Amino acid sequence: MQRLYDVLRAALLAATAALMPVALYLIFVNAPEEKVMGAVQKIFYFHVPIAAVTFLSVFVLLAGAVGYLWTRRAGWDHLSIASAEVGLVFCTLVLITGPIWAKPAWGVWWTWEAKLTTTLILWLLLAGILLSRAYASSPEQGARVASVLGVVAALDVPIIYKAVDWWRGQHPIVFGAGKTNPLAPGMMSALKVSMLVFVLLYALLVAARMRLAALEDRLAALEDAAWRSQ
Amino acid sequence: MKSYDFLFWGYLVVWTGLMVYFVILGRKTASVARRLDALEAQAKRGGSARST
Repeated sequence: MQRLYDVLRAALLAATAALMPVALYLIFVNAPEEKVMGAVQKIFYFHVPIAAVTFLSVFVLLAGAVGYLWTRRAGWDHLSIASAEVGLVFCTLVLITGPIWAKPAWGVWWTWEAKLTTTLILWLLLAGILLSRAYASSPEQGARVASVLGVVAALDVPIIYKAVDWWRGQHPIVFGAGKTNPLAPGMMSALKVSMLVFVLLYALLVAARMRLAALEDRLAALEDAAWRSQ
Repeated sequence: MKSYDFLFWGYLVVWTGLMVYFVILGRKTASVARRLDALEAQAKRGGSARST
């Protein structure tokens, strides 16, 4: 199992490292500049994939949470811990890259429009999941509370996705049902490769975090056994 | 609106953030693995001492 994990990690690392320069070339050299926004628009190639990976991490978190609540097996909980933590990192980056684009495009860093506000709520939920584990009276109680919060976080994702349709905010919608693809071919290939790089990076980080969670469990069990034998 | 400064900062923030997390994760894993090895070695020594 350890050997399989090492091979998987090395393959993910190699694929991410190989594709990263390709993505950079496609974004900065190959993709044409958008007519109205110019160079600032290129943050789109980071912001959109990072947001998509945040959503992916919440769905993986949901699978881990439901799996744990159903079976009480540690493996599901490790998946849930890993995806929540990595998801929080990506969600933080969404909330940083968004305002970097918003300032030149809208003239403000932040506005309390629906999509931004519901994304901030997702960030708070993910942070709450980590805090509930850190301050729980027992690891089992922490895992239970975090799993329930994971299900709530997953309910927020479709709300974020549909926020502009439902409440008509300022946030641009590039893709959506009934919309034609507005991207030039060079833009689309840059977005696809960038998306792939961030998904691979997400998988790499989740695998690393799951390994840490498994090691922490073993350490806790050994420390408990050592304490009992004294 | 044509400013590469914003792009530079956006790009820097993304990769710095991810790399910082990656390094923290690596250091934490190494630290837990070290403590685990030490405890396992201690447990082994204790077990062999009891068996002699």
